[in-house]
Amino acid sequence: MIFRIFRKELLDTLRDRRTLMTMLVIPLLAFPIIINVFVEISKSFEESADAKMMKVGIVGDHNKNYIKQLEKIPAAVGPKKIVVFKDSLTLRKAIEADQIELGLIIPANENNLRENQQTITINWLLDASEVGRPERAALYGSSLQANADAQRLQTLGLRAEQIKPLANNTINCASDKKMLGQLAGGILPYMFIAFGFIGCMYPAIDLFTGEKERGTLETLLTVPVARWKILIGKMLVVVSSGMLAASCSLIGLFISIEFLDLSENQEILKVIHGILTPYFIGSLLALLLPLVIFFAGVMIPIAIYAKSFKEAQSIITPLNIVMVLPAMVGFFPGIELNLNTAFIPVVNVVLATKELVAGTLSWLYFAGVFSVMCLLATLAIVLSYRQFGKESNILS
Amino acid sequence: MISVQNLNKTFTLTKQQRKELNTDQRTATAVQDLSFSCQPGRVFSLLGPNGAGKTTTLRMIATLIAPTSGQIHINGIDALSYPQEARKHIGFLTGSTGLYARLTPIEVIDYYADLYGVEKAAREQRKEELFSLLHMQDFLHKRIGKLSTGMKQKVSICRTMIHDPSVVIFDEPTSGLDVITAENIIKLIRSCKDQGKTVIFSSHIMSEVDLLCDDLAIIHQGTLKYNGTMADFRANMQTANLTEEFIRIVQAPNSQL
Repeated sequence: MIFRIFRKELLDTLRDRRTLMTMLVIPLLAFPIIINVFVEISKSFEESADAKMMKVGIVGDHNKNYIKQLEKIPAAVGPKKIVVFKDSLTLRKAIEADQIELGLIIPANENNLRENQQTITINWLLDASEVGRPERAALYGSSLQANADAQRLQTLGLRAEQIKPLANNTINCASDKKMLGQLAGGILPYMFIAFGFIGCMYPAIDLFTGEKERGTLETLLTVPVARWKILIGKMLVVVSSGMLAASCSLIGLFISIEFLDLSENQEILKVIHGILTPYFIGSLLALLLPLVIFFAGVMIPIAIYAKSFKEAQSIITPLNIVMVLPAMVGFFPGIELNLNTAFIPVVNVVLATKELVAGTLSWLYFAGVFSVMCLLATLAIVLSYRQFGKESNILS
Repeated sequence: MISVQNLNKTFTLTKQQRKELNTDQRTATAVQDLSFSCQPGRVFSLLGPNGAGKTTTLRMIATLIAPTSGQIHINGIDALSYPQEARKHIGFLTGSTGLYARLTPIEVIDYYADLYGVEKAAREQRKEELFSLLHMQDFLHKRIGKLSTGMKQKVSICRTMIHDPSVVIFDEPTSGLDVITAENIIKLIRSCKDQGKTVIFSSHIMSEVDLLCDDLAIIHQGTLKYNGTMADFRANMQTANLTEEFIRIVQAPNSQL
């Protein structure tokens, strides 16, 4: 009988355009759209920053040597125009007024410092909030630095190695997969959890508050079927909808990577392709299932209690923030899955998913998080059952 | 057959409800010491003004809500101890059609037939009978949301009767319906009576009661004011017409009835 109720509620739900949008269409398109927008925006920023003509201000004609050096820097790194200023104050004002993008202040005693083989400090003026300017300044600075170093070594008659007895080289032992887990591991569980929640929302309101509001619940409760069976049949649809929404977002991610060529970085593509394995998908769904049941179990009592669709929506929508906000913990570096975080609902699933992406999730923690979420899901079901049994809640 | 004995229902009032009702009392009594019985092949009418406790009584009989105290028997089954067993014998119809707008009539009827555990062969026969009786063939596969009120009412009737219940409960069944649509309900009640079913319906329209009922109970503020046959009611009237008599009974203290 539970399956019969599930079948009917699913059919009813699948004919609701609003639910279809939140359950299938939006999750399916989310990743392709987000990745596409992200890639296009960063590409256009990079291209515009590279192609942008930079006006480089320099104080005084006496710095002809530096002007020549700057002019020699290949235009391939970005076009530039050198503008000579009378004093540093005028240069600073021009930068603040955005008339000049970069400014160099070379000390007035530059000649003495060079002759006495002392350090010449060049001050770079720029608006660091503008995209590409710090990078261009660093590029020009390193070019001037390299020229000065070569000149100094030549004067001293030394080779570079002679004044550089030690060099440090960092070798990253983390796999590409682990690095991706660290960098992108936060966004993936956030998206899955957010869609899991949104996927549950409309069916929960529609199948409980909506049915109460439309007067169909009263008739349904007169049939010779135990109320818990009706509840479970309906709850299964809410959970399926949440899981379907989360799965659709995963399918959307797969489509973005496999078919739409939205990422040009072959290394990242290889790693993401390696993540999307049956093991990863199975483990992810196993982590999401009790979480989605928990979401459904929290939403259903509210939906049962609410007198109207509007009231239910006004309570559940802010709950979205309370439930999904902890999922943002995945964005913060340094927060890891441990014996404390494994017991915090939502946070534990996010951190476990992050580790799953990185391929570092141990079975012990997987079992721990799964058990904690199953326990909470059970409590949420009990709460739903108690609310569904209350006369004041089921009749309008 | 329906047997109701010493039925009481008290609701706990929420803070909001206390405020709305302008009362300090924590509970409200909807039904008080109600006893009556409805016989097969007879139409029993539960008459009372708005807020009299009619819907609460019918909901208790339909096992939707539990009484605070008292006994309800449906065809000899203790409805409080065995509600699911009792529900198998009951068909429940309200004035609001209460249908799933995104489903078709055939889907709704099949769903309820499954919920009532109606065997496939019996279901097909029953469906054929009801579709033909209610002239439903033309809109069986259209979405309910696109049907007219009259068509929806026919679907509701079909859903209520699909398991061939021996006890049929109608809660203000003609409320909000036009005369032509209401006529379907009147026909259904008469048909149920002819088939020997036990029929109970609530109403506050005296003319409707006069047209249909064999036995009558008048309730006001949750208490029984009159219980007897319609023939006795007519014979003992102290006023010029049925509506005036109904008002007299509702307004009179119990000692003057």
